[in-house]
Amino acid sequence: MIPVAFEYERAESAEQAKALLAEHGDEAKLLAGGHSLIPLMKYRLAAPAVIVDIGRLSDLSYIRDEGEQLHIGALTRHRDVETDALVIGQVPLLAAATSEVGDPQVRHRGTIGGSIAHGDPASDIPSALLALRATMVIDGPGGVREVASDDFFTGFLETAIGDDELLTEIRVPKVPDAGWSFQKFNRRAQDWAIVGASIVVDNGSCGVGLVNMDSRPIRAGAVEAAVNNGASAADAAAAAADGCSPSGDLNASVEYRQHLARVLTRRGLEEAGR
Amino acid sequence: MTDVATHRRTGAPRVGESAPRPDGVAKVQGRFAFSSDLFAENLLWGQTIRSPHAHARIIDIDIREALSLPGVHAVLTADDVPGELHYGLEHQDQPVLAADVVRYFGEPVALVAADHPETARRAAAAVVVSYEPLTPLVDSALAAQADPIHPDGNVLRTLTIRHGDLDATAAVVVEGTYEVGMQDQAFMGPESGMALPSADGGVELFVSTQWLHADRRQVAGCLGLPEDMVRITLAGVGGAFGAREDLSLHVHLCLLSQHTGRPVKMVYRRPESFVGHVHRHPARMWYRHHADTDGTLVKVEARLLLDGGAYASSSLAVIANATCFAAGPYRVPHADIEGTVVRTNNPPCGAMRGFGAVQSCFAHEAQMDKLAAALALDPVELRRRNALATGDTLVTGQVITGAAPVAEVIDACASHPLPDLAAVDEQPMMHRPGGAGRTADAHHVRRATGFALGFKNLLFSEGFDDYSSAVCRLENGAVTITCACAEVGQGFVTLAQQIAREELGIDEIVLAPAETATVGSAGSTSASRQSWMSGGAVQAACRAVRGRVLQQVARRRGVALDGLVLRDGIIESLDGSVRVDLADAVDGPIEETAEYHHRPTQPLDENGQGDAHVSFAFAAHRAVVDVDPELGLVRVHDMTTAQDVGRVLNPLQAIGQIEGGTAQGVGLAVMEELIVEDGIIKNRSFTDYLIPTTLDMPTVRIAALIEEPEPDAPFGAKGIGEPPTISSTPAIVAALRAATGLELTRVPVRPQDIALPRS
Repeated sequence: MIPVAFEYERAESAEQAKALLAEHGDEAKLLAGGHSLIPLMKYRLAAPAVIVDIGRLSDLSYIRDEGEQLHIGALTRHRDVETDALVIGQVPLLAAATSEVGDPQVRHRGTIGGSIAHGDPASDIPSALLALRATMVIDGPGGVREVASDDFFTGFLETAIGDDELLTEIRVPKVPDAGWSFQKFNRRAQDWAIVGASIVVDNGSCGVGLVNMDSRPIRAGAVEAAVNNGASAADAAAAAADGCSPSGDLNASVEYRQHLARVLTRRGLEEAGR
Repeated sequence: MTDVATHRRTGAPRVGESAPRPDGVAKVQGRFAFSSDLFAENLLWGQTIRSPHAHARIIDIDIREALSLPGVHAVLTADDVPGELHYGLEHQDQPVLAADVVRYFGEPVALVAADHPETARRAAAAVVVSYEPLTPLVDSALAAQADPIHPDGNVLRTLTIRHGDLDATAAVVVEGTYEVGMQDQAFMGPESGMALPSADGGVELFVSTQWLHADRRQVAGCLGLPEDMVRITLAGVGGAFGAREDLSLHVHLCLLSQHTGRPVKMVYRRPESFVGHVHRHPARMWYRHHADTDGTLVKVEARLLLDGGAYASSSLAVIANATCFAAGPYRVPHADIEGTVVRTNNPPCGAMRGFGAVQSCFAHEAQMDKLAAALALDPVELRRRNALATGDTLVTGQVITGAAPVAEVIDACASHPLPDLAAVDEQPMMHRPGGAGRTADAHHVRRATGFALGFKNLLFSEGFDDYSSAVCRLENGAVTITCACAEVGQGFVTLAQQIAREELGIDEIVLAPAETATVGSAGSTSASRQSWMSGGAVQAACRAVRGRVLQQVARRRGVALDGLVLRDGIIESLDGSVRVDLADAVDGPIEETAEYHHRPTQPLDENGQGDAHVSFAFAAHRAVVDVDPELGLVRVHDMTTAQDVGRVLNPLQAIGQIEGGTAQGVGLAVMEELIVEDGIIKNRSFTDYLIPTTLDMPTVRIAALIEEPEPDAPFGAKGIGEPPTISSTPAIVAALRAATGLELTRVPVRPQDIALPRS
């Protein structure tokens, strides 16, 4: 489909972006790489009156080593994340998940911030950030605040980012020695995942994030608890779909999605060395 | 022999060589004008108002508000159709615009023309149609007994084939029930065209289509105009595969143009395209095979039920194919086969590459594998033992008089070395099931192969004379070919030039636009027929021109006609006294028109017996698949094929047809299906209607193109477009069965059919 008509504003700085958001309120949407927002607009799941283009804010494109964490600017392109030596060495799960977003063209345009800011349950990156217990940095009129990934995804296509706020940075704990796995199931090459799973196991502590298993990106808490209590991969993964409410659609029934979540989680745990 | 070096052959490709497409570079560079690129001054934009119901009575259509919008120039309903209210390829049952009742989701109800496409869409939204929804008939199995949705009933055609001893049986009997889902042609270029009023009160239509003259007949009828006042020109076609054989927006454009006196253009968007053309018939098929213990087939019983949807389209011919070829390319002495196609309130179905043979091949090949298993015989060997050959009799009683190198096709495909595939645990992640998804670990993957054989008729059948016409004009040493053959991507524009070069020895061949005003019908670009039929017409027209040239030279130079030869653009006498360039040989232009007819066929009698078909083509596929059964993931690695082609006219295009046809067979095997719920297509986008991408496509390897010339055909060449689509699907599913041990009786096979087979 073709999106609803909109006004276009280009922000030259983060401050100007915030000012434009303050001016237009919930009428406005931020445009970064355009690879989440434009599809949402084409499906008419989003119909902003004003687009604020932040795609040229190069000061929000960076990957920094900050001791216990990597700090990744929200406008860092997928291609830069997946090929970055720091990310590959310190958070290999994130590099792997990022390398399977869409296709090379998408990864050269799309940004890490854009792919989480919409809270799309079918996106790959949120599952990795949930598993890794990442933190999002949000800048707005009330100042800069940090939001844990668990509190970030609040509903179907909804996040903790306010209408007048800007996601500026993602902080990811370094886990260089952790076991990890990224599992993505799609029927046709390069489609959105039908179900996916991000798994990280570090010093007996486990994180499992799921793609497309609920109305929002979620963690498989029951699996994490079981692993932390010493359960085998097979036993823990049996709980992968517990508490999830996946939707059935043309590509997969609810029952099949639940099956996929269990199988992918089990394989992921096995691959992560569990 | 004449010294070849004295001839001026310059190397432009002739018959048998890989001539490049004249439109190929433009298409790759984006400079080719498709029908969606048409433009005229003073243009209006058309929009169609469509039914949101699969079945409903129309209570009222209120166009007042739409008509009052600024920029809107016309809002038309069925009341504005001046001529015939219905059209149809074979059976005139489809309304130009629905009047009292709508019978499928997306059926056109009204039309708008406005000065901007967005205005047209807003006006369309402002047309208020009041419906009384009716219960849709969506189960083809209930159609025969259900209330008729048309005055002439729901059963479009039942064809019964009774051959040999109906009571015959044999030592081994296998039975099965199979289903084929609704595939879409999914061409890239959506329906589009432009109509302009002409000075004589007629209309000029530029449109992407498969058969210009059949369009003209139907359009003229609906407009109430004589045929010569409707002039149709082929606009750039972005794929067809059968979906452009029926009318879509043709009459609508002309109505709007006639009504407004202005050029009117329409371009369907993708969701509209999915309801704007016919699809492949979904099929339910029951089979019982009887064979001796050595594998010799004794009898085939089959009952086929095809869902034709709301209107007839080409259903009558599709069911004939499905039924005639239901037993497969095998010697079957006794047959009891019945095929029925019914109307329902599902989307109308009609022509798609393979045309009925695709559906029954999926079933008969599953049966052959089942039989091989019951006999503990190699599936390829079972097929070899029963393979048809020239001189054999089909279940329709027709004796095959042309080429039927079926055993050669089987052997070439089956004996071709297996692909040099890395062991599952050694191949790159991208080559495992899931590809980029990286979900299949090596130890979860099972690899297997499957084999299938298929065939179908070439050209039209059952007594239909689908002739083609062509004009060849020689003027100042240049040749112009005029033929109304629709170029839909199959490569006629390349082949026509090759044939003219071959016959006249001139390199520069101009192909005039395909249109109705300048030449007679070329028939449809379908049924794998244009190389044979329009190729034959071009050849005949060129030969007629050559004959007249030689006559003139013989008369003028006082030499015997039979002593003259034309080769590579030079006319020479055998005695050496004449040697003249074709360009200088004649005064004034020479023009000849030829009409090419294939040998006549007969209708089938009440037992389905008769010489109904002109010719047959055979193909085999061997598939290699990797399957992750726990996830249901499939990777089709390799499709090896052999095909009976008569003679290769253009190797490059032959390979292209085989790769493309195989791709559509892969799609039907594991991906492509229109999901229809209560008559409504749910996946009207390329996001949800899955077509294999280049990453999903296997390597296609051609083991052999079997060149046994077809006696009747120009150059001995058989059509090659459809056979690759027929045997590819069952070969893949055979491999999936071998890998999983599941029955997999329905295509497309979805991942959850493998992972959760009982759900």
